Amino acid sequence: MKWHKRFTPWLTKHLALPSDVILELPRITMIGQIHVYIENHQGLVVYSETELKLKTNKGYIQILGSSFVLKMMLPEEILVEGTIDEVKFIPA
Amino acid sequence: MKQVQGSFLTGYVTILVKGQMPELFFQKCVKRGILVWNVKKESQTACRGNVKLQDIKLIKEIKRGTDYKLSFVSKKGSPFLLKRFLQKRELVTGLLLSILLIFCLSNIIWDVKITGVPKDIEKKIVKQLDAYGIHPGSWSLTLEPPSVIQQKLVNDIPELLWVGVNKKGTTFFLEGVEKAIVKEKEVKGPRNLIATKKGVIQNMFVSKGLSKVQVNDYVEPGDILVSGKLNFAENENEEDSKKEKAKLVAAEGEVIAKTWYEVKVTVPLKANFEMLTGNKEKKYYLRFGDFKLPIWGFGEPDYKRIQQEENDNAIHFLKWKLPVHFVESILSEKQYEKLERTKEEAIQIGLKQAEKELQLRLGPEAKIISQKVLHETTESGKVKLILYNTVEENIAKAEPINQGD
Repeated sequence: MKWHKRFTPWLTKHLALPSDVILELPRITMIGQIHVYIENHQGLVVYSETELKLKTNKGYIQILGSSFVLKMMLPEEILVEGTIDEVKFIPA
Repeated sequence: MKQVQGSFLTGYVTILVKGQMPELFFQKCVKRGILVWNVKKESQTACRGNVKLQDIKLIKEIKRGTDYKLSFVSKKGSPFLLKRFLQKRELVTGLLLSILLIFCLSNIIWDVKITGVPKDIEKKIVKQLDAYGIHPGSWSLTLEPPSVIQQKLVNDIPELLWVGVNKKGTTFFLEGVEKAIVKEKEVKGPRNLIATKKGVIQNMFVSKGLSKVQVNDYVEPGDILVSGKLNFAENENEEDSKKEKAKLVAAEGEVIAKTWYEVKVTVPLKANFEMLTGNKEKKYYLRFGDFKLPIWGFGEPDYKRIQQEENDNAIHFLKWKLPVHFVESILSEKQYEKLERTKEEAIQIGLKQAEKELQLRLGPEAKIISQKVLHETTESGKVKLILYNTVEENIAKAEPINQGD
């Protein structure tokens, strides 16, 4: 496992492999203030009009804002629409 | 968002979840692979979202182990539209009836158009077509193919030389060509009557002209029978007559002469022929490609030998031909008959046959007086006859007199 942790950063650095795939990190795409598209998350924890909290393998992502609507939910993807104020990473 | 596309076609449902942390119910659904969209939290304990119609079963299953309350807010998409439509009985029956009506009307003959022939023959054709069951308003599924109708028409209407039958949708187009019966040109002006065949004169009826032959004279083809040149001055004064021009008239008359014909006929002693007994059964099928679906007339008729006739017609819907064909099949019982004749019978038949043949050749005015068997041989089951026929007929033919000026 230790060997694995050291090996994967090296892969992304030298072989230019996408880091979200190799490191199992969430990929967050934002369109201005209105859309957030999160891939590679591990499940929804909290959802309300003003807050969205998603689990990832290294903690949580918290998105704050107002009038949130989940435009689409798939096992590892989520698309949020609304007015986004903050995107926060909360380590576990 | 492409996962959401097409959900209108398959149908989707907006569900309202009530309970503690209702969004976690959707999270559970998503974990099981259910697509959820347009999720909106309405209050602390209520959350609504869209799911596909096909996932409803699974959602109910997920719900069973939890405390959430589920309610279906609205149903959208084509399956629900269809269902709502089908619930309106009158509308559905109306639609079905109208389709059926169009269907029926597409398979009815609306018009029979005949071109290229004069009115009287057109009427005859219409009458004949009526007899075959082709007229405006008749059902076109059981009709024979145009080529057969064509053949029948030409056979049944002697005035027709040719007729083209074309079925275009609900209209029959017929194009006829009339037989032009060419009348023999009558020779105008002065003319003689000459013999066309050799024969012995039996009777002469001369209405104009000077007869050159007498009864019981033998004539050869080309001999002048009645002359159109009249010489009145013959007896009075011979010198004057040379100066005087002969009067020319158009000779008219009939010259009946005995003529002779040799006819060869062969009559087989044995004959096989098929005959329909008149018993028949009709069956109807719908044909899809090679598959035939019987719709009327089941079971095989217990005929020993069957003559089968099929009328195959494509079913139309408006102007399109459907891949479904309506097949009418007529099974008629037939019999094989064997016929054996004695030599005497064969000769009798031969005589009659020869008479018919000759009459056909010479026309209805000729009279066959006697027939004699000149020679008869029997060879490989056939009787060969050489017959000698005596006929009385008109042999006169008009020929203009060449005036030579």
